Amino acid sequence: MGVLRMGHASLRVMDIDAAVRHYEDVLGLKTTMRDKNGNVYLKCWDEWDKYSLILTPSDQAGLNHVAYKVEKEEDLDVLQKRIEEYGISTEMLPEGSLPSTGRMLKFLLPSGHEMRLYATKEYVGTEVGTVNPDPWPDGLKGAGVHWLDHCLLMCELNPEKGINHVADNTKFLQEVLDFFLVEQIVVGPEGSVKAATWLARTSTPHDIAFVGGPRMGLHHIAFFLDSWEDLLKAADVMGKHRTKIDAGPTRHGVTRGATIYFFDPSGNRNETFAGLGYLAQPDRPVTTWTEDKLWSGIFYHTGEAVPSFTDVYT
Amino acid sequence: METIERVEPLRRRALPVNAEASSNQGEHEVLLVQTGEVYTCREHETLLEGMCRLGRRGIPVGCLGGGCGICKVRVLRGEVISLGPISRAHVSEEEERQGYTLACRAAAKGAVTLEVVGKMQRSFFRGFAVQQDISRTKEGGASWES
Repeated sequence: MGVLRMGHASLRVMDIDAAVRHYEDVLGLKTTMRDKNGNVYLKCWDEWDKYSLILTPSDQAGLNHVAYKVEKEEDLDVLQKRIEEYGISTEMLPEGSLPSTGRMLKFLLPSGHEMRLYATKEYVGTEVGTVNPDPWPDGLKGAGVHWLDHCLLMCELNPEKGINHVADNTKFLQEVLDFFLVEQIVVGPEGSVKAATWLARTSTPHDIAFVGGPRMGLHHIAFFLDSWEDLLKAADVMGKHRTKIDAGPTRHGVTRGATIYFFDPSGNRNETFAGLGYLAQPDRPVTTWTEDKLWSGIFYHTGEAVPSFTDVYT
Repeated sequence: METIERVEPLRRRALPVNAEASSNQGEHEVLLVQTGEVYTCREHETLLEGMCRLGRRGIPVGCLGGGCGICKVRVLRGEVISLGPISRAHVSEEEERQGYTLACRAAAKGAVTLEVVGKMQRSFFRGFAVQQDISRTKEGGASWES
């Protein structure tokens, strides 16, 4: 029971047509639905539910909410009780609050980000189907990403004021939503401050990550690719489309993932994340990165600080 | 945390509408009032692209999409044109009326005087100070340590 995986992200964009072109042509998602409010719903070819990305027209960039899929409808009731008992108020949105989606349990993480849990979303199938499938479909555009893999949320961290929403979110996810801690960056006296954490429910190295910063926000949403080759092709696609690349192609020390960071046309950071890294399990010992080596954790090849990693987000 | 700043080459995400016009006419001088630095911007390129050609550390290059807000500037004199939407999370309507904008989304229409006000201001001034130190060192023939 409980949380299965990241189900979708709802992003604010300032130019909906440019955003749809980016996610379709550069990343290779396909539009599956539009609603009367102008929201656009998209999915990746290897996903089976109706959508994993909602683009919302807005006068600013950033995250509306992140949603995780749970296994059973009853899980929503159990988790609602546990979240309320932890001291966080919740709201059960009725079925149909989002099209093709069952009821959603809505609440705020300690960091202030809106999270939703749901069990039901319309099944449409992957593009290769379930019977004698080909390894990939014809006609993929751009990078041809497989699925929405994870998100990284920037959380307020101000040890002088006693604020550490990285630690608060991590505790909540571990104690209430049964995520397990996979990797962490610790700083300060004797590594007493959790500056960043990576947590999982699946067997991949992370399904969500939190990094400390001056204010809350969206650092990135990440889409999965198989390999270095796929990642380098994705970089070619970005060159072709003049997409602003922030960092990479390179490798993260944390998670061992190969990566490119880049921006959508409204400035929301995306990542193409390649490789399964290692088998993440609840009993796997936690990997710790120390303050003096933290940039090797972020960008393994250079180990150098890249200011935009911590300063630039929506 | 000590950070190493790099000036990255800027790449425009999409060509503005008038990009096919000839590029020689319509070059405009941009003055950064806090440092006295002057650079040239072509009419259809962003204030930030021109600023990058200063070729020094601390130029606030972020998302280039008007979303992250780190290249926030205030236009003190002169006129700029908008090249796309800017996030209201970083520039309110009132601020826009007072001349605030994002350098990645605005182009000069004539000579322009700018004030750099974004979140990377500290890096911007540190980068300027480093450059001044280097040129002083070169002129005086002194070493870094002196």
